[in-house]
Amino acid sequence: MKLTVKPLKQKDAGRGLAAIDRAAMDEMDLENGDYIVLEGKNRAVARVWPGYPEDDGNGIVRIDGQLRQEAGVGIDDSVTVEKADVKPATSVTVALPQNLRVRGNVGPMIRNNLSGQAVTQGQTVPVSFGLGPLSSMSGQKIPLRIAETAPSGTVVVTDSTEIQVSEKPAEQIREGEGAASPESPDVTYEDIGGLDDELEQVREMIELPMRHPELFQQLGIEPPKGVLLHGPPGTGKTLMAKAVANEIDAYFTTISGPEIMSKYYGESEEQLREVFEEAEENSPAIVFIDEIDSIAPKRGETQGDVERRVVAQLLSLMDGLEERGQVIVIGATNRVDAIDPALRRGGRFDREIEIGVPDKEGRKEILQVHTRGMPLSEEIDIDSYAENTHGFVGADLATLTKESAMNALRRIRPELDLESEEIDAEVLEKLEIADDDVKDAMKGIEPSALREVFVEVPDVTWDSVGGLEDTKERLRETIQWPLEYGSVFEAMDLNAAKGVLLYGPPGTGKTLLAKAVANEAQSNFISVKGPELLNKFVGESEKGVREVFAKARENAPTVVFFDEIDSIAGERGGGQTDSGVGERVVSQLLTELDGIEEMEDVVVVATTNRPDLIDSALLRPGRLDRHVHVPVPDEEARRAIFAVHTRDKPLADGVDLNSLARRTDGYVGADIEAVCREASMAATREFINSVDPEDIGDSVGNVRVTMDHFEHALDEVGPSVTDETRERYDEIEQRFDTAEPDLEEDKVGRTFQ
Amino acid sequence: MNTDQQLFDEMSVRRFEYDDHVVLAADVGVADDTTVDVVDDTVILVTGDEQYEQPLPDQSDARAFINNGVLTIELSDEEAH
Repeated sequence: MKLTVKPLKQKDAGRGLAAIDRAAMDEMDLENGDYIVLEGKNRAVARVWPGYPEDDGNGIVRIDGQLRQEAGVGIDDSVTVEKADVKPATSVTVALPQNLRVRGNVGPMIRNNLSGQAVTQGQTVPVSFGLGPLSSMSGQKIPLRIAETAPSGTVVVTDSTEIQVSEKPAEQIREGEGAASPESPDVTYEDIGGLDDELEQVREMIELPMRHPELFQQLGIEPPKGVLLHGPPGTGKTLMAKAVANEIDAYFTTISGPEIMSKYYGESEEQLREVFEEAEENSPAIVFIDEIDSIAPKRGETQGDVERRVVAQLLSLMDGLEERGQVIVIGATNRVDAIDPALRRGGRFDREIEIGVPDKEGRKEILQVHTRGMPLSEEIDIDSYAENTHGFVGADLATLTKESAMNALRRIRPELDLESEEIDAEVLEKLEIADDDVKDAMKGIEPSALREVFVEVPDVTWDSVGGLEDTKERLRETIQWPLEYGSVFEAMDLNAAKGVLLYGPPGTGKTLLAKAVANEAQSNFISVKGPELLNKFVGESEKGVREVFAKARENAPTVVFFDEIDSIAGERGGGQTDSGVGERVVSQLLTELDGIEEMEDVVVVATTNRPDLIDSALLRPGRLDRHVHVPVPDEEARRAIFAVHTRDKPLADGVDLNSLARRTDGYVGADIEAVCREASMAATREFINSVDPEDIGDSVGNVRVTMDHFEHALDEVGPSVTDETRERYDEIEQRFDTAEPDLEEDKVGRTFQ
Repeated sequence: MNTDQQLFDEMSVRRFEYDDHVVLAADVGVADDTTVDVVDDTVILVTGDEQYEQPLPDQSDARAFINNGVLTIELSDEEAH
């Protein structure tokens, strides 16, 4: 029966499975697990896997790249599928590559890997060997050659199959990715995660015209000639080009910018022409130009004459008087705006496809791709890692898996004898990546797109903030809810707030709150220190603001934190002492916060102790729409703050936090912290002065901070807030409150109907 | 090894939701002596000395079989929703 070939989902790939739609399964009387023969140019054997629900009745068989290669078919080709009669193997002899040095019995491991797969004599099967010397790089597999099978013909490896390792090494080792290119990069569609839509677009542009040019003739249009892939570094542009080249079996050649440049006049262009000529001779062909911005910058902006001529040559090669036939150009760049505009038109690059930072689903697929060949421990939850890696691109996730594997390797390093020629098979088998390995690796990796502005998320939770219950609740509503309860916000047609302004006297915990937000919000966190944005060149300061927001958007969800925002967002129209830089920065901020470009999942948190100095346009709804007063703590709040700061201190029994809280009217959080520190310091001083230095180790456990120490500390540290400041802030709060009425608490009432 | 292991924790099970029923499938590796059975809403997989169990949702009319290492559990209509 003829079925159409489609790609398999990433997680099902690599196990010799063929997902057949149910209607076709019924017709052929197949059950899950049955062996089938796929016949394209060659024959391949696979096991039946349940068809994907979306394929029902469409006559589709989904197989992975390995099987496609074996059967000699491409995606959307049709293939003959038949039920196969396959015998279980009693013994299989495999040949290992020559440079693989393993001692001991690898049989069980190979059997586990091959179990259930159908093999034929002479076939090369890639097997993942845990973290063997060859496969330590991400997902690389060791090519085994099947030297002999008993009985002969196509057999299936079962648990009772005897695996023998042949004396002779597999003569021909399948070469690694680097060496095998340019003719056949070894990447299949299943090796690309999270880019289904983009891949579909690329295939439509490239595969269709190559396979069936008559379609385009019938339509009376020129088939597309070029695709430009652009997006942040590490998102998979090059990988995608490789996969396409591999899957459609076209001649593949690459141009790398610096290589074609020559010091001789005219030679750079000639090299370019040669590449295209060669491609034309071997057509259908794909010419892949990686980092195209390096050879095709805007002509007006280039310094040298050579660049200009190279660009001109490229332009005429891509769409000149001469037909270039079936040669398709794929360009990749991460600076799409730096490319000469003449390249970016129909006929040259017909379509520009943006490869973005992957979302959660995409990250999961990418992780599945990279962990496919890894011995993962069962406790690892890929979903949760996919969720916690906002802003990670494919390359970052690859690093994450690689680092985890390296951590696992480090654990068994002591058992490895690096001197010996071979590694014990038992040790290899023991290698497993544990959850902690991945966790450790997570700590060391930061999203590459955020690297310049990335800050280590502080280890402050809501618990570390004493008192301020109202304030915390408000922040949680504004920042955590839209992310956590997206569906509720959608149902209520509610847009998430764009920004929060925290204001209050110095030392009341504004920055601490922001830290807690950063930690609890499960988002990326960008911290902007106002004065750092300022630059002596005209326009650069505004550019700084722009870049911060561009990064934030790319890596959403993000919390952008401006500490002391009054320094860069002062009232406009005041004295002109700085030639208007301040004003322009404010204007830039205003447009970023509520401009034509939508800020999706980006929340701004700003703090200040002079809200009256901030430009009023910034404070209106739609920009920093929530104003949260972080007040001077009242008695109860002070108690909570004392509790937080004395949580890990050895307190004597007589210390009464309630009375301390009562007596510290006018103290803010920072003052209370100082009191606690001063009290412990007094206790420490007393202890060190009275005890022999040699006994310190033994008696340090007996030291207690007593009430006397606190008394002493209270004398030392005075309240930093006077009645006057408090009044001023109360006044400000009233002014802001009229703009935003207080939430009435505990009034559930009519909300649910 | 524990004789009473949770099947789904041990291997990755794929869930396919069709219009009228749900199919769970897992690649468990080929062994001659692997059997699978459904007893009182519990799938029991026995391979050699090891036994795996997996409770299924109540009132489901389940059918399970294993063929060349592919374990299939079919759940009927009610469970699809």
